[in-house]
Amino acid sequence: MNDDAPVEYRIAHLKERLAAEQLGELGIRVEPRGSSVTVVGTVPTANCREELVHTAREELAGMTVHFDIVVAESAAPDHPEELA
Amino acid sequence: MIRVAAVGDIHMGLDSQGVLRPAFETLHDCADLLLLAGDLTRHGTPEEARVVAQEVSGLPVTVVAVLGNHDHHDERPAEVTAVLRDAGVRVLEGQSTVVEVDGKRVGIAGTKGFGGGFVGRSGSEFGEPLMKEFIRYTRRCAEGLRASLHELAEQGCDARVALTHFSPVPDTLAGEPLEIYPFLGSYLLAEAVDDAGADLAVHGHAHAGTEHGITSGGVPVRNVAQPVIRKAFNVYHLRGEGQAEPRAEASADRPV
Repeated sequence: MNDDAPVEYRIAHLKERLAAEQLGELGIRVEPRGSSVTVVGTVPTANCREELVHTAREELAGMTVHFDIVVAESAAPDHPEELA
Repeated sequence: MIRVAAVGDIHMGLDSQGVLRPAFETLHDCADLLLLAGDLTRHGTPEEARVVAQEVSGLPVTVVAVLGNHDHHDERPAEVTAVLRDAGVRVLEGQSTVVEVDGKRVGIAGTKGFGGGFVGRSGSEFGEPLMKEFIRYTRRCAEGLRASLHELAEQGCDARVALTHFSPVPDTLAGEPLEIYPFLGSYLLAEAVDDAGADLAVHGHAHAGTEHGITSGGVPVRNVAQPVIRKAFNVYHLRGEGQAEPRAEASADRPV
């Protein structure tokens, strides 16, 4: 990707890669925030997080990217919900 | 009381084996059945489905599932379904199943569902063939759900649950960008649920949404996408008294 391309297209291409490549990830939000880009969401495993960060840094090379990526929690619940 | 555990969007890949199993092994203490609300895999390959199958095989509760859009990506949903069924999972698409819980009958009607949007902001069967087929496909899913819920009512189930991947209501999408709501669900699913009646509707798909919603007919809706509930599953207690009635019968009892 051309580093001089408008940020919107670079974000769109990153989203396309996240969906099409190994991650198969559609649920990550990637948004321009001032002069930087934020990448926010939840992924299934720590491996997925590493791959996501790597892909985003590659596709958005030269830009400041802020990540808030959480690995899905896998603990059992501690209480139920009573539905009337 | 009927204890329903549910989770969707577990997106298991080849690196996921064993991630959820420890929590699933506690199900015998807190739930009577486990519902899987689609997107069980990342790409819908049989290899990924085998990871899911191992994760849920031999559990002490009945496991009922629908597929999600990710489970269709490799265009082998029949193989994914077969792998899961071999592991004892009851995979539904326009179908229903009944689980016996302490002498009570819990009916689950399931469909993946599809998009189209919500009332006043939805697609129509109009224009290009692809656009018409988009909405017709959703309509077929909704009709399957409606028919399955009616069947469960005729079978005298004490509780009925609608299980989908796509959302029947916009409530549980709060947090998602408004622009993508038509890709996250359809009012046709809610209309089917309200028409046939249900005690609970469970879905996934909207990772940035919220857990709680309700249909126009008053059926509680829960978005159990794992990124939303932030647990291996959630548990919902139903009274199981057969209280949910089809809309026409319920309205007949209302004062006018």
